[in-house]
Amino acid sequence: MRYRVRHTTTYTYDDDVSDSYGIAHVTPRELPWQHVGAHEVVVDPVATDLHATVDHFGNTRTYFQVDRRHQVLRVEARSEVEVLTEVRDDVADAQAWETCRPRLRPDVLDAWSARELALRSDLVPHTPTAFAYAAESLLPGRPVAEAALDLMHRIHRDFEYEQGATTVTSTIDDLFEARAGVCQDFAHLTLACLRSHGLAARYVSGYLATDPPPGRDRVVGADASHAWAAVWIPGGTWLAVDPTNDQLAGERYVTTAWGRDYADVPPVKGVIYSEASTSLLDVEVDVAPV
Amino acid sequence: MLQDYSTAVAQPTLSPEPTRYDEVVAPDGTLRPAWKALASSAIGLTHEELQRISADIVRFLSDDGVRYSRPGESPSWWRLDPVPIVVSAQEWAPLEIGLAQRAELLNAILVDLYGPQTLLSSGVVPPEVVLGHSGFLRVLRGSSRDPHPLLVTASDVARTATGDWQVLADRTGAPSGIGYAMENRRVISRVVPELYRGAALHRVAPFFQAVRAAMIDAAPGEASDPRVVLLSPGPQSETAYDQSFLASSLGFPLVQGSDLVVRDGIVWMPAFGRLERVDVIVRRVDASFSDPLELRGDSQLGVTGLVEAVRRGTVTVVNGLGSGVVENLGLAPFLARACEVLLDEPLRLPTIRSYWLGDPDELDLVRARADELTIRTIDRSPLPPDLDPERLLALVDAEPHRFVAQERPHHSQTVALGPLGVRPEPVVIRTFSVRYGSAYRTLLGGLGSIMETGRVPRSKDVWVLKERADEPDQRLVEVLPMTTVRAPAAMVPRVLEDMFWFGRYAERAEDTLRLVIAAHGLAQDFRYRPWSAGGQTLQVLARKLHDLSPGPDGPLDGESVDGAAHDDELRSVLLDPFRPGSVAQSIGSLRDAAQAVRDQLSPDVWRVFGAIDRAAGTLAGSRLSLQVNDSAGRMLTAISALHGVTDSMMRDDGWRMIVLGRAVERCLQVVRLVDGTVTTRRGIDIDRDVLTSVLGIAESAVTHRRRYRGYVRPAGVVELLMFDLDNPRSVAFNLERVAEVLRGLPASTGSTRPERLLADLRSELEGVDLAGLVVIEGERRPYLEQTLGSVRGLLTRFADAVAEVHLTSAPTPRSFDLGGTS
Repeated sequence: MRYRVRHTTTYTYDDDVSDSYGIAHVTPRELPWQHVGAHEVVVDPVATDLHATVDHFGNTRTYFQVDRRHQVLRVEARSEVEVLTEVRDDVADAQAWETCRPRLRPDVLDAWSARELALRSDLVPHTPTAFAYAAESLLPGRPVAEAALDLMHRIHRDFEYEQGATTVTSTIDDLFEARAGVCQDFAHLTLACLRSHGLAARYVSGYLATDPPPGRDRVVGADASHAWAAVWIPGGTWLAVDPTNDQLAGERYVTTAWGRDYADVPPVKGVIYSEASTSLLDVEVDVAPV
Repeated sequence: MLQDYSTAVAQPTLSPEPTRYDEVVAPDGTLRPAWKALASSAIGLTHEELQRISADIVRFLSDDGVRYSRPGESPSWWRLDPVPIVVSAQEWAPLEIGLAQRAELLNAILVDLYGPQTLLSSGVVPPEVVLGHSGFLRVLRGSSRDPHPLLVTASDVARTATGDWQVLADRTGAPSGIGYAMENRRVISRVVPELYRGAALHRVAPFFQAVRAAMIDAAPGEASDPRVVLLSPGPQSETAYDQSFLASSLGFPLVQGSDLVVRDGIVWMPAFGRLERVDVIVRRVDASFSDPLELRGDSQLGVTGLVEAVRRGTVTVVNGLGSGVVENLGLAPFLARACEVLLDEPLRLPTIRSYWLGDPDELDLVRARADELTIRTIDRSPLPPDLDPERLLALVDAEPHRFVAQERPHHSQTVALGPLGVRPEPVVIRTFSVRYGSAYRTLLGGLGSIMETGRVPRSKDVWVLKERADEPDQRLVEVLPMTTVRAPAAMVPRVLEDMFWFGRYAERAEDTLRLVIAAHGLAQDFRYRPWSAGGQTLQVLARKLHDLSPGPDGPLDGESVDGAAHDDELRSVLLDPFRPGSVAQSIGSLRDAAQAVRDQLSPDVWRVFGAIDRAAGTLAGSRLSLQVNDSAGRMLTAISALHGVTDSMMRDDGWRMIVLGRAVERCLQVVRLVDGTVTTRRGIDIDRDVLTSVLGIAESAVTHRRRYRGYVRPAGVVELLMFDLDNPRSVAFNLERVAEVLRGLPASTGSTRPERLLADLRSELEGVDLAGLVVIEGERRPYLEQTLGSVRGLLTRFADAVAEVHLTSAPTPRSFDLGGTS
């Protein structure tokens, strides 16, 4: 599938901002199953400094600075992306999950770098609750893909999708308490479950093309930035699961960045110099099939 | 000294520790070669002489304002033992070679970890040791253009029972202690000059010249006259002294994060009203606090955009951001192999034997020996206090890769002064190495510490003797001497603000002290005669004092006051740092302001604080009433000496702000003093005493006597204190001064708000009819009260306006974040 993606982040402040500095992770990655065509990041007011580099995880990171006085800041990323259906290696996916711990697989070429993603991170602690919850899916000898899908199904079934059920400071334990959250919570939860058993899993940030209701035009902004999780499979692939929608992240998913957790790859973050006391955030994502 | 010491060493000890290597006496009772080489006068020092030297040291350290604070505690004086650690050239040689190799190795490891990571991919170092360490800063990965992120490194070393050197820990992030080491040497060379001159030891100065040259040389690109700054977390930092000493002796301006700004991926410093490019940042802010944009978002200590500037290679940070990852205690077991892989040579200097618990086999071994080993986190993050071994092991089991176990360290012992004489104490030495030219050079010297828990450590100077007397100091010949390097002023708004408050607090402390001394004088004479005129005057002053510095119990009032209560009250005003407006509080704020601009001030400033602290210490330790007067007098003398210090300053904007702060505060103090004293009529005798006291406190008694022939009237006092253009204590005089200084400030245009308010103030005073002003209605002088109130209001607004126009920094940075995704 080919998409034209437009991702707009708008901040509106109640007072003048003299300087804005920002970091954005809004550039889709070039991947075996994903090709990126034209791409640009536009900042308004125009950025005096806009510079892209590649980060530790191979994501494109865009640094920008706006030094003109403003009350509205808009960061817009426009991309043309083609996503292919990934061809999975059924044999690799059928390995017993216990053998997929990267620390036990020095024979596998990329195992050393996957070991980083089996460690806890600030937003994804390895809690006993997550460990116990995951154990019900990680049954002895079970094929890794099957176990991961089962975990995904259970999270989708046991947790309610609910905006506002959690905040940025919510922890994995809060999530078990509330039994509700949004996509990044479910991604973090999946990571905690898999990593606490020694598997490597990464947080993936991107977009999901939502089909329009039958007979109606697609509405701009109906889509939002999305997040899911991917587990390392020895043999060089990662199996991407989306617990929010209870499905594998296939050709309707555009991947922009991955890391240990949300904090490594927030779509836009920044520092402002201002006396403003409030800011309004508006995010619009449009993933239009072409 | 050494006879006593030999005896002490020979005594069997009850300590369960194995025998320590003794730095002074060999097992056969003879002196080690290093000590034999010292003058016999040194060896023969008596206990009394050592005590005297020790007292001299305390005085020198307090005069130099050398302080240290343990994390979370208020600062204490730096401590220094009078007897140095003395090491011969032969004993030092293997350490020096080992440290040079170690610095090179740690640098090579850093370059690899932030680049190709071959150490991790080839299995030399387990990835968890590095990638699970909080010092590994991912945002710096893959972009480092700096081949030498490690410019200065420190290692703590100790000696085993056989005298072999061993590294206990490395400090690679932002190593501290060089300033303290320099200060220790400076003090020791002054207190035992005979000993110092007699010994063929390496002087340390050339090393610090090399450090300075290396920092300048670290500038990226072809900058012809690179600007180097020292980035400090501010005067509250535990090693604030170390930082400011280093900055001023190396001649680099001391700055804080808010003083710098990033534009176009380049770091700039606003100086002299324009932006100057910064080429090298000597960083003493923790790496994780260095940039709120890409590191900790809640940091107020960093420079927004610094990480990006580093990635683009427009600025060199010393040591590089992220270099703290090789302080990692978990690296120790893998260093030897890393050395072979990266440098192709065997590791010379061993680290204390350590076991990384991420390895299940090592963890099993450690479990069996848990009581003999010390378990620590690899990034030294603190463990919960009072952890029993079982709970500790449970924490380890949850995340074994975050822990190491270390064998108990061995320390050598050396002679140190205790209360009852010299005795052996275990020591550790912090060594320093710098990349100078193409190789790492290790300081022939160091910062020694006596191993004690719970207190500010007692430090020791470290003397490394020369192999031959004609050897150049530090074996460095080609380094250019630092001839009176003076930090070019970083006249950023924050510095100007500290200067302004320096002036204000100095004046406030001085004026409060005069009031205390006057009140004490009256209390001495009249405390038991509250009904007398003097007694009534005392009460007026007590109320005034309470007005300026409110105590918890209200002013001392009425005739029931116990005589001793006055002393208690005055002591509290002098010593209680929590009492608003107290002398202790003003001095504390004055010290903070001075500390923040230490590189701009003469070292004499610290002698002032030394004298004040000694006076306060004496008062705290004495119940004598006379001591109040004596200590307050000594404090006043000390603080008056600050005038001399500022008189000899360059007439730059910093000096202007001090003068401005002083003049504004003096006006305010005079107005507050007159209000409530001269404004009320209490009867002829009392009024005369009150007016005389007010004149004394305002340091205008002599002038008054000359001008009015001793006839004290309210109109005369008000004229002298408020309107007299020739009296340097008067409001009018100080407003003239303010006007003059204000004109010299770059932001002044003739019509700025401070200038307009000043014009209002002066016309307010000029329009007053003196005779009408002191007219009495009932017991009060309402016109005087009204004028004082309006002058005071204008002064306060003026001070605020000065801050707004001349001292405004940018608003504090705040992080924003895309709160959620779907």
